[in-house]
Amino acid sequence: MVLKFYGHPFSTCSLRVATILKEYNVPFELIVVDVSKGAHKAPDYLKIQPFGQVPYIDDDGFILYESRAIGRYIAAKHRASGPALLPDVNTETQKYAKFEQAASVEAWNFDFYASKAAAELIFKPMRGLTPDEARAKELLESLENNLDVYDKILASQKYVAGDDITLADLFHISYGNLLHSAKHINLEDTKRPNVARWWKDITSRPSWQAVKGGVSSSA
Amino acid sequence: MVLKLHGFAVSTCTLRVATVLKELNVPFEFVPVDITKGEQKVPQHVKIQPFGQIPYIEDDDGFILYESRAICRYIAAKYRSNVSGPALLPDLSTEMEKYAKFEQAASVEAWNFDFYASNATLELIFKSIYGGGVTDEVRAKEYLESLEKNLDVYDKILSSHRYLAGDDITLADIFHIPYARHLHTRKYINLEDANRPNLTRWWKDITSRPSWQSVQGGVTSFP
Repeated sequence: MVLKFYGHPFSTCSLRVATILKEYNVPFELIVVDVSKGAHKAPDYLKIQPFGQVPYIDDDGFILYESRAIGRYIAAKHRASGPALLPDVNTETQKYAKFEQAASVEAWNFDFYASKAAAELIFKPMRGLTPDEARAKELLESLENNLDVYDKILASQKYVAGDDITLADLFHISYGNLLHSAKHINLEDTKRPNVARWWKDITSRPSWQAVKGGVSSSA
Repeated sequence: MVLKLHGFAVSTCTLRVATVLKELNVPFEFVPVDITKGEQKVPQHVKIQPFGQIPYIEDDDGFILYESRAICRYIAAKYRSNVSGPALLPDLSTEMEKYAKFEQAASVEAWNFDFYASNATLELIFKSIYGGGVTDEVRAKEYLESLEKNLDVYDKILSSHRYLAGDDITLADIFHIPYARHLHTRKYINLEDANRPNLTRWWKDITSRPSWQSVQGGVTSFP
């Protein structure tokens, strides 16, 4: 049975999962959850994803939510047929640990600021609400400070977990792209040459290129 | 050389790592970093932890790692054979779906619990203890409201299995303890609310473990 992907074509978390599915060429059927109509809060939906959030997958009956958990599951399950985006916890324990370190940095030092800034500056206006400009400014400042640290880290290694690309790099793309395209941050700033190099590298991957305009069912 | 844990004795993230070191019976030397004096921002520390944060570990072979939840996963993997019983970190090669459910629960801890709990703790508790400004009461109230909604969901989830990732305890349950403890003991949230019997059962269970009991007053070297 083909993997069922319950998501939304333009949602950042759906884009995150779709990118990873593409890395492994995993066929999937996108079933659109119409969040604008509150489909994600319907009782039937909450039975499966109790927080009323998108996306989730149904892989031949195995249900999983949380985009970064789905990403790890896909990378683990399909490791034989794609890039080694998730180091092996048993045979390369230190590499695995560095990946989880980078993934934790993505969560707490990047995403928490990036996603909340996007919520203020991009999603609120889309819903006809007024952004809290002061809060957005604070969030972007923290993000900028951390991107300066990223530049130092990426001066001595190609990717955020070391010299090989991992899921941790890919996790950044959807919110990074949202803020960068709207010019709230500049990930190609020449003052941060290593971040610029890294950003161009990861966003040029065919997986992201295939989904960045919106997710659709794979061929 | 014994594993060195560099952190602050009562810091939530340091406590998170210490709990898991105790769970896996891993001896360690505690090396204090005085965050009240800004020691985590000195050049020597920033060379190792470039974000100027704590904790980090230096394992017995010199391997350096930061980010408490990464450290916990590393410890649970490397020292797996120290203890019997279900693995705190399911093995993705032999129990892939269990591993995936663990990562789902860990992601829930990060985005649906910690974000609200850590920010509420900062506003309501840390600002007055450590300085850093006036409590933003409006924001704190928002965080607590979101947290309460999510705790209601936790109660539903925990009605059909014992722990967040299934019927076996995992790191995902333990990750919650330090911030949850702060908010619960100061009565900003009630994790033993009779209206949430499953959450109550879970909270009492995980906080009664000898690992947490032995570090909750502050981390020291072990043994």
